[in-house]
Amino acid sequence: MDAGAATADARMMEAREAESREQFRSLDQDVQSLKKEVLDLNRDLFLLEEELLFPANSQVAFFISMDVGEYFELDSVTIKIDGKEVANYLYTEREADALIRGGVHRVHMANLKTGDHELIAIFTGKGPHVRDYRRGATINFDKGIGAKYVELEITDRVKKQQPEFVIKEWE
Amino acid sequence: MPSGRSILSHLLFLVFLTPVALGATSSKEPIVVQDPQYGEVLFYFYQEDYFPALVRLLAARKQEQLTNHADEAELLLGGMYLSYGHHLEAAEIFERLLANNVDGDVRDRTWFFLAKIWYQRGYLVKAREALSYIQNDLPDNLQREALMLDAQILIDAGEYDAAVAKLRNWKGRTEWASYAKFNIGVALVRSGRVDEAAALLNELGEMDPFNEELTSLRDKANLALGYALLQDGQPYAARSPLQRVRLEGPFSNKALLGVGWADAEMDNFNRALVPWMELRGRDLLDSAVQESMLAIPYAMAKLDSISQAADHYLNAIEAFYEESNRLDSTISHIESGEFFDEFIANDPLDGTGWYWRLEELPEGPEARYLFHLLATHEFQEGLKNYRDLSYLYRNLDTWQQNIDVYANMLETRIEAYAERLPRVEESLASADIDGMVARKLEFDSTLNNIEESHDWLALATQSEFDMWGEITGLESTPVLREEIPEAAEVGDKIDLIKGVLQWQLERDFKDRLWRIRRDLRQTGAALVETQRSRRQIDQTMRQEPLRFDGLSDRVQSLSPRIESIKMRVEDALSRQRAFLQSIATGELQAQKDRLDVYTIQARFALAAIYDIAATAGEESE
Repeated sequence: MDAGAATADARMMEAREAESREQFRSLDQDVQSLKKEVLDLNRDLFLLEEELLFPANSQVAFFISMDVGEYFELDSVTIKIDGKEVANYLYTEREADALIRGGVHRVHMANLKTGDHELIAIFTGKGPHVRDYRRGATINFDKGIGAKYVELEITDRVKKQQPEFVIKEWE
Repeated sequence: MPSGRSILSHLLFLVFLTPVALGATSSKEPIVVQDPQYGEVLFYFYQEDYFPALVRLLAARKQEQLTNHADEAELLLGGMYLSYGHHLEAAEIFERLLANNVDGDVRDRTWFFLAKIWYQRGYLVKAREALSYIQNDLPDNLQREALMLDAQILIDAGEYDAAVAKLRNWKGRTEWASYAKFNIGVALVRSGRVDEAAALLNELGEMDPFNEELTSLRDKANLALGYALLQDGQPYAARSPLQRVRLEGPFSNKALLGVGWADAEMDNFNRALVPWMELRGRDLLDSAVQESMLAIPYAMAKLDSISQAADHYLNAIEAFYEESNRLDSTISHIESGEFFDEFIANDPLDGTGWYWRLEELPEGPEARYLFHLLATHEFQEGLKNYRDLSYLYRNLDTWQQNIDVYANMLETRIEAYAERLPRVEESLASADIDGMVARKLEFDSTLNNIEESHDWLALATQSEFDMWGEITGLESTPVLREEIPEAAEVGDKIDLIKGVLQWQLERDFKDRLWRIRRDLRQTGAALVETQRSRRQIDQTMRQEPLRFDGLSDRVQSLSPRIESIKMRVEDALSRQRAFLQSIATGELQAQKDRLDVYTIQARFALAAIYDIAATAGEESE
C-alpha cells in the first residue's frame, strides 16, 4: 500500500470532480436559459392560439370550480349551449382533487354571437351517502361585445346536506 | 379571502412541500380564487403539471388577468419555476419576495431549500450565500440539515478546518450527529490529521446502532478509519476497525481486503490469505475483489508457493482480460448514444420537474457497471436536464406542426374575408340608413302636426278614408239640392252616416296616435341599433385587415423562433448527452484502467516468478 499514491489519487479525483462540476454548471446555465425561452415562446403561442381560435369579440369560456365538495364527488360535466351539446368532460381523480383544492378547470371555449344564449350544465357524480347523483343547472346569459367567462360552481348547502350548483358570469 | 401575508406564507410553505405533503397541507384550506385564470393555473399546479401551469400563468399575467392575485401569482411562479428545474429564475423571484415582510420561518425555510438545490446543482457559492441568510428560525430537523449542508460545502471546497470547526459545535444526539462526526472524521483524514480523525471515527465505529442506516454508517466509519491508519503506516491499529465491518454488506469487500493488507504489512502472509481467499468467490466488478486476485498470489509467492502463485496470476490475467472486453463493449454502447435515449423512451415525459429522480437504469449490461453513478448529484441532475431538454424538444416539435396549421387557417380566413367583403359592401351600400332616419324624422314631424291640428281624418284606415270620400262625394250630388222630400230624407241619412264615421274617427284618434308613436319609437330604436351595428361593421372592416396583418406577423415571426430554439435545444441535448456519456464512460474507463494496471502487475509478477523458477532450475542443473 502506498499512502502517497493514494493521496495523490484522491487529489486527482477531487480535481476531476471540480472540473466535471464546472462543466455541469455551464451546461446547466444553457439549459436554464433555454427553459426560459421555451416558456416564453409557449406563452406567446398559447396567446396566439387563443386569439386565432377564439377571437375576443366572440369568445366565451366555461369554467368548473368546487367549493368544499363534502357532499359531491364529481365524475363528469356535460355542457349544452342553446340546446346543443358542446362538451362532455370526464374527470380523473387527480383532476377532481385539484378542483377541491381550489383549482378551476376551463372545461370549454366557444365562439358565440352577441345576444342571448341558454346554458345547461349537467353534473354527474356521487352525492350524499355515496349515491349516484345527477343534477342540472340552467342559465340564460347575454353575450356582449367582449370576451365572457361563465363559472359553474359546485358548492355545499350545509343546512340541507346537499350539493348546490351555481352559475356565475364574469365579464 | 385570507390576507395577503398569510397567503404568501401559506403558498411558500405549499410550494416547498410540493408534491409530497401538498395534499396534507392544502386540502383543508383551499385558496379563494377571484380570477378564473388564476384558478386554472392552480388546477394544473395541483396536478403537478408544471409546464402547462407555468404557460397559463405567464399568459394570464401578460394579459393582466391576475389582478386579484398578483402577489400569490408571483410566488406560485417562483415555486413552479423551481419545480420545473428553472432554479435561477425561481431564486430571483424568491429573493425579491423575501426582501418584503415575510414570516421568519418561511424566509429561513425558503433560503434553506434554495441552498439545498444550488448545492445539488453545483452552485456552491450561491448555496453558501443562501445559507448565510438563515436566521435561526428553521425547525430543528432542517436546522441540522442546514448545518450539515454548510459543512459539506466547506468539505467540498477543501476547507477542512472550517468544516471541522463548524461541526465540532454539534450538540445533537440524533443520527445527524453521527453523520456530522463521520464528516468531520473524513475532513480530518483529508487534511492529514489522522490521530484526531481516529478518535472520532473510532467512537462511531464502536457505537451500538439502532437501525440499518446507522449500522451502515458504522461500517463506513470503520472502513475509513482502517484505511486511514493503513495509509498512515499503522497496520496493527488498522486491523481492529476493519474487522468490525460486517462480513456481508456494501463495505465488506474493501474491509476484507484491508484486513489482509494489514496482516501483509506485518509480514503475516498466512493470516493475510484468510480474508483474501474469502474475496475470491465474490463479484469481480468490485475493485477490492479484483485487487484480491493479485494479493493472493503475492502472498503465496511470499510463502514460497511459487507454482500456486503462478496459477493464480494466470487466472487473474484471464479474468481481467474478459472483464476488460466486457467493459469495452459497454463503453461503445454508451458512446453510440443509444443508451440515454433508451431510458428517455421508456420514461413518460409528462412529469418534468425537480422531484423527478431516476431510480433504476434500464436493464442491460451497463446497469451493473453504472448503478452507483445514480447516487451522484451530477449524474442525476444531468439526467434531469437531459430529460427536460427532451421534453422541450418534443414540445417545440408539436408547436412546429401546429404553427403550420395556424398559418394555413389564417390564410384561409384572409381569403374568405376578401371574398365576402365585396358582397357585404354591396349590401351595405344598398341599405340607405341615413334616408331611413330622415324619413323617420319626417314621420315624427307629420305626426306632431296631426296631433296639433287634431286631424283625426289623417289617422283613418284606408277603408275609412275611402268611405269618407264616398260620403263627401254623395253630399255634393246636385239631386240632393232638389226641393223634394226624398232628397231631404237621403240628405239626413248621409249626415247621420258622416256623423257616425267622424265620431268613430275622433274616438279612435288618441289610441291610433299612441300606437303610431309607439311604432315610430320602436323604429327609432331599431334605427339606432342599425346605426350602431353599421359603425361596428365599419370598424371591423377597418380593423380586420390590421388584425389579420398582426396575426400573420406573429405567426411568421414565431415560426423561425421555434426553429431557432429547437436547433439550440437539439445542440444542448447532444452536449448534455456527451456530458453524461463522458461521466459514464469515464467511470468505465477508470475501471478498465485499473484492470489494465492489475494485468500489467500480474504479468510482471508472473515474469518474476518464471525468472525465479528458471534461475532455480539452472542452479539445480
